[in-house]
Amino acid sequence: MLPTYIIVALIVGLAVVLLLYVGAGTVADSRWGRVALLVGVVALPLLLSAGSVSFGLRQSTQTAFCLSCHEMQQYGTSLFADNRAALSAVHYQNRLISRDATCYSCHADYAMFGDVKAKMNGLHHVWVHYFGKIPDKIALYQPYPSGNCLGCHDDGRRFLEAPAHQPIMDAVYHGKVSCLACHNVAHDLGAREGHKLWQAN
Amino acid sequence: MQPDTVAFRQATAVTGLGLLVQLASSFYWTPLTFVLSAAVGLPLVLAGTVLFLRTVLRLLKSKGAF
Repeated sequence: MLPTYIIVALIVGLAVVLLLYVGAGTVADSRWGRVALLVGVVALPLLLSAGSVSFGLRQSTQTAFCLSCHEMQQYGTSLFADNRAALSAVHYQNRLISRDATCYSCHADYAMFGDVKAKMNGLHHVWVHYFGKIPDKIALYQPYPSGNCLGCHDDGRRFLEAPAHQPIMDAVYHGKVSCLACHNVAHDLGAREGHKLWQAN
Repeated sequence: MQPDTVAFRQATAVTGLGLLVQLASSFYWTPLTFVLSAAVGLPLVLAGTVLFLRTVLRLLKSKGAF
């Protein structure tokens, strides 16, 4: 459920629209009536819709939103894997990314249309979830772009000074070597069975 | 009923329907209802706006405003 204030605002907006529908005949005859129509039928609904959709877009970046589909629950569990080699678990448990937007932090590309692309992919996910055939093995649409890692690690001291990174730094920056070539456990999906799950005290 | 009143009512009805879709979605917020709200509710509100503005323009034109 959306926050109460958004629901109340939508109810008020709908009530105004209903009143104007009933009184359209008399209201449209006067100048101030037409102004009321402009505000009630155009300005207020547009404002409410913008608020509702922008709130929805923000909600759709939340970890809970992604994990609300059962296909994603094993990925949610993998955030708690007691496995220091699993990228998602390390990032989540050490708060390297926001816990509220864990999935989105790594799975939305950087650059101008990164968010738009993530939303379009999300739309496709919703379609497949409700109307399509869910694949047995969930995979990315394309190889994971190292640019997403560099968006945060780019000028990080640990990244820059790691001895293992020195000989391949140029290749990583030019996209010739993927971060995942070495850090190859993105999600430890066997965590539930094989490992103990980590939990903050 | 005057034609302009009918047109205003149509615009109001379409806008109201868009708000109703958004309101209904807001009570049961899931990925699907979010898509419904954004892909059906919002376009209905926009369609209502276009209908309203078209009626206003037609009204102004008939009164010789431009």
